[in-house]
Amino acid sequence: MSDVERGPSGPPARESDAVPGDDDALVRAAQRGDRQAFGHLVSRHARSVLSVTTRMLGAAADAEDVAQDTFVAAYRGLPGFQRESAFSTWLYRIAVNRCRDVLRARRPRTVPLDAGDERMAEWEASGSDTPYREVEQAEVASAIERGIQALPPLYRESFVLRHLEGLGYEEMSAILGVHRDTLKMRVYKARTLLARSLSHLNVSSG
Amino acid sequence: MTEQDLLVQRFLDQELAAGERLRLLVEIGRSTALRERLIAMERLLLDVAAIPRPDVRHDFVARVMERIDAPGITIWRRIAEAVWAPHLLRWNLAGALGAAVVCLLALSAAVALLNRAAVVGVEPASSPAAAAGASAVLVRLVLVHPGAMTVEVAGDFNGWNPARTPLEPLAGGAWAATVPLEPGRYKYMFVVDGEQWVVDPFAAEQIDDGFGSRNAVLDVRMPSGVSL
Repeated sequence: MSDVERGPSGPPARESDAVPGDDDALVRAAQRGDRQAFGHLVSRHARSVLSVTTRMLGAAADAEDVAQDTFVAAYRGLPGFQRESAFSTWLYRIAVNRCRDVLRARRPRTVPLDAGDERMAEWEASGSDTPYREVEQAEVASAIERGIQALPPLYRESFVLRHLEGLGYEEMSAILGVHRDTLKMRVYKARTLLARSLSHLNVSSG
Repeated sequence: MTEQDLLVQRFLDQELAAGERLRLLVEIGRSTALRERLIAMERLLLDVAAIPRPDVRHDFVARVMERIDAPGITIWRRIAEAVWAPHLLRWNLAGALGAAVVCLLALSAAVALLNRAAVVGVEPASSPAAAAGASAVLVRLVLVHPGAMTVEVAGDFNGWNPARTPLEPLAGGAWAATVPLEPGRYKYMFVVDGEQWVVDPFAAEQIDDGFGSRNAVLDVRMPSGVSL
């Protein structure tokens, strides 16, 4: 999902248009010790990685730190990267695993990692099917961000990769190491929970 | 999730076959609630797609490269951090009982090993018999060979290595050694000055050694003594 489709977002970071070579060429060069090539890879994928860490972790400082950590880990793991998957897929995998480590280390809140089923059951038992209501447009993004943060981590990561990073289920399966059917169910449940939480807050677009 | 819910979700993923799309459209036409739900979902996903990605700081790449260049953490520091880092231990009763059983088994094995070591022990041998074992018989081997500088004995009981069993010189050119032996039959020969193999002239039994010479045979019995 390109940044053009996603709409303006302030001063653009360095984009990949000025960077020479595709990922594979840059990865090969980086594996031969070309640090500039690795720098280009960082520049090219920084936004995607930061997007994942921000949506997974919420706190800006944590997200930035984990995003940087992801690239450091990627650099150190380059010798072992066999190019069996796309570099971006590998990078996403590192980022998601780093986020999971951080989430595990945080003090548990009211919702454990896999509590999504419980929340679904509660919602279904409530019999509520309140639709997505209208609010001020400016509050939509912020409300959605809060709603995503409130999702159980397993559902959150699937939802983020699917709908914020625009990945297909095959690539998500390669990143998360989970069968695509399982990922679909997580995404379905995430959508339903998110819609429910936002309808409860009376949030929607015009 | 109901079948209708699954249809809705698969519709959102654009995975419905033509027939399934038609079926869903028919259901939408019949149900206001379903229609509103689908519209709300589509709106939600449109809004999600429109959320801007976070901006990347202008020095993000530089910071990453700085961290790459930073001195690495040594393996000892990593070990220390791993040892001292607090960990959340999750347990259940079954796991705790299993761990307790393992600990008890390990403790029992350790106690058994310690007891065995105490019984075998490391005690100074007050006599060759004590060192050899309670059933060993002390056998006195004697050779009279005046003029010899060294006399040793080689046989089945010492791997035919004469250096293991030297005889002590006695008066009158006699040489003797006391050897603890378990009951059994042993072949042996004396070795004079490290090179002359001599058959015990006092052995009750001698047999051909297969090399053109003869070995003395020692028949050790329990409990009373040695029969030569």
